[in-house]
Amino acid sequence: MMFELSEEHRMLKDLVAKFVDRELMPLEPAVLAREAQGQKVGLTDEEEARLHARCKELGLWGLDVPAELGGANLPVVALMGMNEELGRTPVPFYFPPDSPNLHMLMAAANPEQRRLYLDPYARGEAKSAIAISEPGAGGDPAAMITRAVKDGGDWVINGRKIWISRVPYADFTIVMARTGEGKRHEGITAFIVEKGTPGFHIEREIPMLGGQRTYEVLLEDCRVPEAQMLGRLGQGFAPMQLRLTIRRLQMGAWCTGMAVRALDMLCSHARQRSTFGVRLADRQAVQWWIAEAATKIHACRLMVLDAAAKQDAGQDVRTEASMVKVFATEMAQDVIDHAMQAYGAMGMTKELPLQLMMQKVRTMRVYEGPSEVHRMVIARRVLDSRR
Amino acid sequence: MKILVPVKRVVDYNVKVRVKSDGTGVETAGVKMSMNPFDEIAVEEAVRLKEKGVATEIVAVSMGVAASAETIRTALAMGADRGILVETDVDLQPLAVAKLLKAIVAKEAPNLIIMGKQAIDDDMSATGQMLAALLGWPQGTFASKVAIEGDGVTVVREVDGGLETVALTLPAIVTTDLRLNEPRYASLPNIMKARKKPIETLKPADLGVDPAPRLTVLTVAEPPKRQAGVKVGSVAELVAKLKTEAKVI
Repeated sequence: MMFELSEEHRMLKDLVAKFVDRELMPLEPAVLAREAQGQKVGLTDEEEARLHARCKELGLWGLDVPAELGGANLPVVALMGMNEELGRTPVPFYFPPDSPNLHMLMAAANPEQRRLYLDPYARGEAKSAIAISEPGAGGDPAAMITRAVKDGGDWVINGRKIWISRVPYADFTIVMARTGEGKRHEGITAFIVEKGTPGFHIEREIPMLGGQRTYEVLLEDCRVPEAQMLGRLGQGFAPMQLRLTIRRLQMGAWCTGMAVRALDMLCSHARQRSTFGVRLADRQAVQWWIAEAATKIHACRLMVLDAAAKQDAGQDVRTEASMVKVFATEMAQDVIDHAMQAYGAMGMTKELPLQLMMQKVRTMRVYEGPSEVHRMVIARRVLDSRR
Repeated sequence: MKILVPVKRVVDYNVKVRVKSDGTGVETAGVKMSMNPFDEIAVEEAVRLKEKGVATEIVAVSMGVAASAETIRTALAMGADRGILVETDVDLQPLAVAKLLKAIVAKEAPNLIIMGKQAIDDDMSATGQMLAALLGWPQGTFASKVAIEGDGVTVVREVDGGLETVALTLPAIVTTDLRLNEPRYASLPNIMKARKKPIETLKPADLGVDPAPRLTVLTVAEPPKRQAGVKVGSVAELVAKLKTEAKVI
């Protein structure tokens, strides 16, 4: 048994590696400069359009979209290698469509919803967001209080959602709301709310670390037709969990890539830089950072591949995904931190990608579930599995 | 027109090569391997000729350990139609490769062979020339431009003094230099299609060739470490050092 990608999936990883080196890396200085000037960290419309055209040429589009919808139908395992390469640069880019909502729609959408929402989303023509967190329910989404009440042929949603990414650009947002009397994760239903629906107010933009933006949304008598209920009544939590699992595995791959980049930079600097007559590479403190980084990157990559392979085999990998998420984000943060420390003052500048990667990984320890919540969940499952 | 493109599996150009501690060769265990970059240029040139409608079939050939099939697969993903793997654990030297290629040429009857001018592992730069001699075919080596005209091929060669243009009659051998083209990267659909393209596996004995090495490698060693340089404070000091220490002026 070999713990590595298949030949074909290695070729796909190499393809993305070339894409990153030739198409994304040249944009990195501009992205860093935008961040340094306090602008939104992202690509311009022209840059994005050019990259998307290149992606279409190379077939880097609809990677995990089923073949009948025109996608490449790649398994999660293949995506992990490709996402690791994307992680090597903080230039924000993904191959459309973004995976998590794709998987949620595939799991929950009925034929009419597939036609209206999944198909254009799978083609990369429609953008989407998801509204889960609330001011009083973040790491614990089952505590949400946003409520949808049936009124004739419609559902009327009232509540407040926060920390939502991409919502102003989204053609539709999946809104999670309470519909029944059940406690915790019971009685939560997903609804598709189209852009511009009355009562769906984007209240404010919230600047975050790493030049990211999230939004707060107020739902005030927001009326959606029954046909826009996604999945079964009161059964919205499971498909939402699936989407979170996919994202957490993806984050594991991104973190591996980020750490690889940081280790590359650490090694190249350690071999060049001398202090007090000794190269950093010859100092034990730095050597231990390098050894730790290489070891943890190896471990992280294996954890990600293992969880992805199990996911592809149809197993429930929520526990593995939690382990990956905690380990990967903390591992990447350590490696980036050591690289920054080795670079000294240079590592503190906004000219190097390390600081932007550090900001990104800092937010990753919180979004899609803080490390502590994941540890709690892992511990609970471990305890429950013992007699 | 049928084009034969030999492709070699070598240590990836990004990897820092390390000499084995016993001095018998370089470390390849656990090292990323890729297609020789000059061979990638050869595949690209062949694929462009096919896209122009000049070539009808591209056959990629690799020789060596079983994993060389991966190198063929890369060529197939770039646009070659099928592959031939000559599988052997013997350390293949240029003459053996040229003889094996000659046997494949007898079987396949290509009109043109495009191959890398050298492989980046041993930098021998010999196989193309040896094959031309064995076949009695004309050769255009170190090509920076290739144009098929009728039953001939015009090759612009990069030579020390500048550029030399030669006209060859087909069948012929072209070896590629760096500036001939920029190889494409295999697109995702083509990577998936490559899986379905056939690779035929042969042994040297099937081709009636004894691939045993004719050269003996005595030892492989790292280049000697360069001494650290010194900074001079003035031109006068530089001139003095060149006279008294380096003794070059």
